Amino acid sequence: MINVLFFASLREQLGCEGLRAEATGITDIAGLRTSLAAKGSKWQAALASDQLQVALNQKLSSMDAAVKDGDEVAFFPPVTGG
Amino acid sequence: MPLEISISVQAEGFDPGAEYNLLRSENYVDGATAMFVGNVRDFSPAESGEQQSVAVLELEHYPGMAESALTDIARQAAQRWPLGRVRIVHRYGPLAAGDEIVFVGATSAHRQAALDACAFIMDFLKSRAPFWKKEFAKGSEEGDWVQARNSDEEALKKW
Repeated sequence: MINVLFFASLREQLGCEGLRAEATGITDIAGLRTSLAAKGSKWQAALASDQLQVALNQKLSSMDAAVKDGDEVAFFPPVTGG
Repeated sequence: MPLEISISVQAEGFDPGAEYNLLRSENYVDGATAMFVGNVRDFSPAESGEQQSVAVLELEHYPGMAESALTDIARQAAQRWPLGRVRIVHRYGPLAAGDEIVFVGATSAHRQAALDACAFIMDFLKSRAPFWKKEFAKGSEEGDWVQARNSDEEALKKW
């Protein structure tokens, strides 16, 4: 399973802090994003943003990064700390 | 002095004076100490439209990654400049106008190194550390997420 997390406005749009996604058939983050978007129109809209950021195992990453069983993947909008 | 990096991501407030004392404690080789403190404003500088007053700022973070991202930024600064102590404190949770949000401090034998390191750390923190701000107007339960600014991403290019 892949541990998936959502933060900030994305978390609110989805009404979901995170979920466990089946890793079978998923090779990269883009594939995970596509399978999550297929959960419904709300998911498709929220995950379509070209501003979407992603972290793999708590490091900033990119959509073409490979994922495997046991990984933690977080999706979030651009950060605004400081 | 040998490099010492200290990172705190916390809900509680912090005392900038106490942080300064920790940077200086038994540190007799670094003649320069530079510090930056970020505070909550009571307004949102709307890029278009009217300025909004802000009563509460709520900061969300990604536990675990927030600490490691700040540590990584501090290490990068230490690779570029000869630093002694580097301290970063970033708060999360509800904050009020005037509250301290973030502290960055660096000591060095050279003032330019300490000053540049603080500026570098803040620039990368703003665009790379997983924190998100939500502003609440007075009496409002519906907050607005702060939008990232292109100027913050642009600021990284100077490094």
